[in-house]
Amino acid sequence: MKAWRRVAAVARKDLLLEWRGRDAVLPAGSFGFAVLLVLGLVSGGGGEAAPSALWVSVLLAAVLAAGRGADREGEEGTREVLLLYPGSREDLFWGRWLALCVVLLVLAAGLWCAQVLLFDAPTRGAGVLILAALLATAGLGAAGTLLAALVAHVRAGPLLMPLLFLPATVPVLLAGVRLSETAASGAPAGPWWGVLVVFDLLFLLVGPVLFELVVEG
Amino acid sequence: MRAFAVGGTAALLSVGLFLALWGSPPDAYQGEYVRIMYVHVPAAVSAYGAAAVAFGAGALYLWRRDRRWDFVGRAGAELAALFSGLTLLTGMLWGKPVWGVWWAWDARLVTTAVLFLLYVGCLLVRDLADDPERGRRLSAAVAVLAFLDVPVVHYSVVWFRTLHQGPSISLQGVKLAPEFLLPLAVNAVAYLALLSVLLAERARLASLEGER
Amino acid sequence: MRPLDPVVTDALGRRFGAVVALRGVGLRVGEGTCLLLLGPNGSGKTTLLRVLATALRPTEGRAWVCGYDVVSEGHRVRELCAFLGTSPGVYAGLTGFENLCLAADLCGRPRRQVAELLGWAGLEQVAHRLVRTYSLGMRRRLALARVRLQEPRVLLLDEPFVGLDEEGTRLVGELVTGIKKQKGAVVLATHDRHRARAVCDAVAELESGTLLSSGTAGLAGAVSRG
Repeated sequence: MKAWRRVAAVARKDLLLEWRGRDAVLPAGSFGFAVLLVLGLVSGGGGEAAPSALWVSVLLAAVLAAGRGADREGEEGTREVLLLYPGSREDLFWGRWLALCVVLLVLAAGLWCAQVLLFDAPTRGAGVLILAALLATAGLGAAGTLLAALVAHVRAGPLLMPLLFLPATVPVLLAGVRLSETAASGAPAGPWWGVLVVFDLLFLLVGPVLFELVVEG
Repeated sequence: MRAFAVGGTAALLSVGLFLALWGSPPDAYQGEYVRIMYVHVPAAVSAYGAAAVAFGAGALYLWRRDRRWDFVGRAGAELAALFSGLTLLTGMLWGKPVWGVWWAWDARLVTTAVLFLLYVGCLLVRDLADDPERGRRLSAAVAVLAFLDVPVVHYSVVWFRTLHQGPSISLQGVKLAPEFLLPLAVNAVAYLALLSVLLAERARLASLEGER
Repeated sequence: MRPLDPVVTDALGRRFGAVVALRGVGLRVGEGTCLLLLGPNGSGKTTLLRVLATALRPTEGRAWVCGYDVVSEGHRVRELCAFLGTSPGVYAGLTGFENLCLAADLCGRPRRQVAELLGWAGLEQVAHRLVRTYSLGMRRRLALARVRLQEPRVLLLDEPFVGLDEEGTRLVGELVTGIKKQKGAVVLATHDRHRARAVCDAVAELESGTLLSSGTAGLAGAVSRG
């Protein structure tokens, strides 16, 4: 049985459901926008607050988006069906991860545009920002996929999701903020690429292993 | 054996307390407040020790599915939350008179707060899971994840603070004279002994609860 | 020593905290047999099926499907066994065709079987409509087609007749007969003895998690208590 076929099938399914329902991008995106708006309002909307506001809104939107994929399986009673197919359950992790990464990239792009408009933020250093978004998305996607599966069988799971997700992803937040700042000012990036890479490695290595242990009956 | 361990720990804690209150001179800058350090630092060490135990026991439980590892892991997670909470509390009590603020965005404090939150999450996941067996598995997974994630959090916070505005207050600047070092060392050993005793007792209690 | 029969359990038990859902169940389902699992609500029928399907770990005892241990060799069991639970487990946001394509991809079957299976289930007219617009019976038929796609040796059915019309009931019968012909085994839990009688060869009765009886007699109505 080819793993890539299973991974692609799960990712395609998640993205197709998302495309038809838009039930992760729209609510999570609107929520992220609301966060940006509120942060802009209290910080006075100066350009120096823009990177922090952007990454905080991305992280909070990611909490909602990550939970959505797992909720969908719960509503339809399909979670167990997926798990009982033959083949490695790591494939399910990677499929879910891939779909979540696409959703997160869309969210990040949307929120970046909103942040440029609201905060009058500089748009220089697009290459740095895109690379940072890709790296951050890979790690956030893995953390989100794992934690959403983890809280799926927990009462008040959606409430526990941010409690686990936000402290665990602090490195992405900090690295994202600093990389956005250095992209705008052209300053050296320091250790931040390293932080993102280490965070990604950690969650991409540990994520699928723990996912398999977490989802079994 | 058990009585010996409890008695020995009590004795160590008493000696530690004596040294902290009467055996150590007041600090030139911090005055009498330095005595809080004799609780704060050992509590922090114990919190990380408990987190390490929760990590090891959690990983072993996920691997072997032996409930005895879960009893240890549960004790470790609870004590990690307890001691990191105590660290935060004593850190604030110390920070207010010495630094003039309850809270500083010091990397160690933020890391301890993250540790505290993750282990609170670990305990909640266990209690709120739809089935006790799943709760054991989920909390073990969180304990493993938290322990691996916390170093990354720590260094990112260190760099976030230092590379931007320069550390306002750094504990590393405080060089410890021998008359402070001895009480600190004794207290650290006493707290680790306390941690071991509490771990053993909590694990035993959990196993008794589990057999019901 | 691996048990030879398709489904074997030995002193199988499952607890949910303090609640005992299954206790000391020893069961043997031979090749080409369909076992009817009877018992009042809450007697442990679904739990037993879920343990056999590897959806739930047993807390006591052991179980084997086609000789593979459901705990230590769960991945082998999932290759040979299909489980249809009380919920059809199909995506309302996908069409019937897409649902089956997903299943084909996930269990490594060729996609060309999908159209044929939709025909078998009588769903070719609605194949490209979203499942959201399907009735419960149509969703259950789709789930039956999915199970057939998996070509299992052991089939576990939990209340398969719910929401099905006569034609749908015939599909369940066909599925079960096909597996029996391939020397597989079926375990079917239901309260609908009337419809089950046509396809089952043996019966087992559960009460409060324990096996009261099992045997081949008694299908005519009352359950044997030998």
